[in-house]
Amino acid sequence: MSSIDITTVPVARLRERKVSTRIWRQAFASVEFRIGLIVLVLLVAAALLYPSLSGIDPVKMNIKAKLMPPLFMGEGWSWSHPLGTDQLGRDMLVRALVGLRYSLLIGVSTTVLMLLVGALIGLFAGYFGGKTDTILMRLTDAQLSIPMIILAITILGVSRPTIPSIILVLGLAGWPVYARVMRSTVMSERKKEYVRGAMVLGATDWRIMFALILPLVLPPMAFVAVLDIARMMIFESVLGFLGLGVQPPTPTFGNIIADGRKYLMNAWWIATMPGIFLVLVLTSINLMGASLERARNAIYGGA
Amino acid sequence: MLDGAETRTLLSVRNLSVMAGDRTILDGISFDLQPRRILSVIGESGSGKTVLARTLASWLSPPLRVSGGTVLFQGRDLLADPTHARSLSGREIAYVGGNPAGALDPTMTVGAQLVEKLRAVRPDIPAAKARDKAIQLLKAVRIPAAERRFNEYPFQYSGGMMQRAMIVDALISDPALLIADNITQPLDVTVAAQILKLMRDLNAEFSTAILFICSSLPVACDASDEVMVLHKGRVVERQTPAALIASPQHGYTYALIAELPTLWQGGPDRRRRVPATERPIMSVRGVSKAYETRGKSGKALVQAVRNADFDVFAGDNFGIVGESGCGKSSLMRLLTGLERPDGGRILFKGEDVGTASRKRLRELRREFQLVLQDPYGSLPPQSAIGAILEEPLKIHRIGTRAERRDRARAVMSEVGLHPGLYESLPTGLSAGQRQRLNVARAMILEPDLLIMDETLSALDQTEQGKLLDLFERLQARHGFTYIFISHDLTMVRQVCSRIAVMYLGEAVEVAPNDRLFFDPGHPYTRGLLSAAPTLEPRRYRPEDCLLEGEPPSPIDLPPGCAFASRCPHAFDRCRAENPALLSRGGQALAACFLNEPHEATHV
Repeated sequence: MSSIDITTVPVARLRERKVSTRIWRQAFASVEFRIGLIVLVLLVAAALLYPSLSGIDPVKMNIKAKLMPPLFMGEGWSWSHPLGTDQLGRDMLVRALVGLRYSLLIGVSTTVLMLLVGALIGLFAGYFGGKTDTILMRLTDAQLSIPMIILAITILGVSRPTIPSIILVLGLAGWPVYARVMRSTVMSERKKEYVRGAMVLGATDWRIMFALILPLVLPPMAFVAVLDIARMMIFESVLGFLGLGVQPPTPTFGNIIADGRKYLMNAWWIATMPGIFLVLVLTSINLMGASLERARNAIYGGA
Repeated sequence: MLDGAETRTLLSVRNLSVMAGDRTILDGISFDLQPRRILSVIGESGSGKTVLARTLASWLSPPLRVSGGTVLFQGRDLLADPTHARSLSGREIAYVGGNPAGALDPTMTVGAQLVEKLRAVRPDIPAAKARDKAIQLLKAVRIPAAERRFNEYPFQYSGGMMQRAMIVDALISDPALLIADNITQPLDVTVAAQILKLMRDLNAEFSTAILFICSSLPVACDASDEVMVLHKGRVVERQTPAALIASPQHGYTYALIAELPTLWQGGPDRRRRVPATERPIMSVRGVSKAYETRGKSGKALVQAVRNADFDVFAGDNFGIVGESGCGKSSLMRLLTGLERPDGGRILFKGEDVGTASRKRLRELRREFQLVLQDPYGSLPPQSAIGAILEEPLKIHRIGTRAERRDRARAVMSEVGLHPGLYESLPTGLSAGQRQRLNVARAMILEPDLLIMDETLSALDQTEQGKLLDLFERLQARHGFTYIFISHDLTMVRQVCSRIAVMYLGEAVEVAPNDRLFFDPGHPYTRGLLSAAPTLEPRRYRPEDCLLEGEPPSPIDLPPGCAFASRCPHAFDRCRAENPALLSRGGQALAACFLNEPHEATHV
């Protein structure tokens, strides 16, 4: 009884905080994370609140005040339109913020949909292997072989291009990549000893898949998926370009850029503003994602 | 040093110090090595053995750096002249590591790699000549059918053959010095014994000096002319093997020799004093399992387990030993219900594990648990220790959150893990602590039977001893039954009361501990005993029993006794008919025709 050799523990190890709490704390401690968080919160808050608070209608035309430049840029700017106006005299700030709303909605929900479908299909294919794998992966190949634009033209051309249908089309086109990556990582994880250990403990397949493997392989994939939010926003503007995106007069980044293209020479700000907002949003998300990933690696790496 | 007139000192190391950051790894190492000599360097993990090897092979990577001293090789200082040192490495100074599978390029044939290696250091040798030399050396290290094997890929080689190919790779440039870093560690005892014998032969034949680095004292003493003991980065003593064992000069060496487990003399003994009941908790009845593989020649059946047959008594320690590829792991998978046997029955408390429904099997898992081999791979990499321990309770829906937490903490202190580590990740734990965690995870369900699959093989001797003490304590308190699956005879000798020896999927001998070690009933057991690394006078001389060659492939097993091809006593009947496992009196069973038909009771 007396000779139980308790292993010595360095004092620094005696942290009675959950692992996830430690990761968030460490991430929050970094300057990048805070900057990203502040910028993102400001932008999202502005997108949600400013249009209604300011009472400016993003689709209201005012031909007298058309093509006004942003503050301090060129002649004829005014405090009432900080980012200038477009060719129909609509306020660019409100339009950009409303556009940000839609673009963010489309970008984020498309990415989530893609990740969800891809991860699930990849998880099942990789975990069960055999026939399940063959069927699911041939399905993936079939999906991959259809070009996204053709799929979009077909679906959005037949039904009306509403926001849910755009999300659906973009999501459908994007998941196979995730499914493939997921499948291969799950296949390699599945063969590891700790999975066998869980089986011996009596864990069901579902438990191993969702409680053990998924939390391990999802975060790195989610980190990649953040980059896809931008890609999806741009794809939405491609659809807008083809006239298959969100229909005017509702502003999105896609149709603002498409409109602004014609006035690039004498009113550069129309096409530029959505780009600046896009850069700000994505930089802030990436800053947060990167410091979160760093914190994860540091904690799981043994810090 | 003074007999330099005849044998010039090949390697002379003076006051060599290596630092990692501001931590001293090697501290003032000095030694000489004459041509044609074998010098062993031993020490526990972390004593700086591998760093020494890499320094000599000019293969240090940051943060390691040499902070002082000289390394004179054939009279020139390697540390002062790195360009010269690099031109020597691979050519005059060859290095063989302990991981042959990782060192060979899987996409090239072994022969092509050997030729390329030779021509990289000696571009003047024409390709055809290099090829001849490689084949000749492959023959010298006794790779069968060397011409054919020359054109095969590494995956077609067994572990022992890969290690031999690596030795060829090192010797092909006729080096003056061969640094062998832990080359026998991943190998089976009988194969390791072959490699050691081979190294001595090569040493005589090619007059290469060898620096033999290893962590096992018996192996070091077996292999070398002199043994140098490294402890915490310092050379604590250097003697011939006989003198070292007879009169160790340093306290560390003394302790090392004292705690060395023995096979035949009284050493640490952890066997159960109380005679175990004769009530079987697990009975294995004629179990077999074959796997289908697809090769070039179409489908083939690998017979991983054939006709295994034994009983494990409640409260007992049962050992299963054998070399790699003998079906130990397959048997483990069958015993734990991870796979179902093709034939035969596995009865756990009278219930057949092999045919139980998935649901029933899951319930049964509460009562028998497995502790896995690899301390690093067997734990989920990103769960906190507490969560790992609570997982089995969650799986079986036991207790509330608070109860689970208390239970986990209780088990942690029971296996000797500080409960303050509850929210820590296993990342910072040592291999020994990780295995404690594995044991804790298995015992939190309060099972009756614990299967230890090579649980201790990744740990050093001291840590092994501590864990065996822990197992003993847990057994006394909870009445566990243990099945130890292992290749380590000395460990099994200390712990198990009954032992099954497996060869090519078959239990060739099942006997009580003392009987197995003092009166083995199967020539394979004798071979294993003769090859086991130990300092004791051997009861079985390797010359009589050492197994030449390697086990036949389990794909096309010869008719008759599977061991006949390696058995020194095989006769005609062995090649035609497979002997059954028969009683030799007492509880000893063996499958060999050489045993006198005692009562010939078929079991």
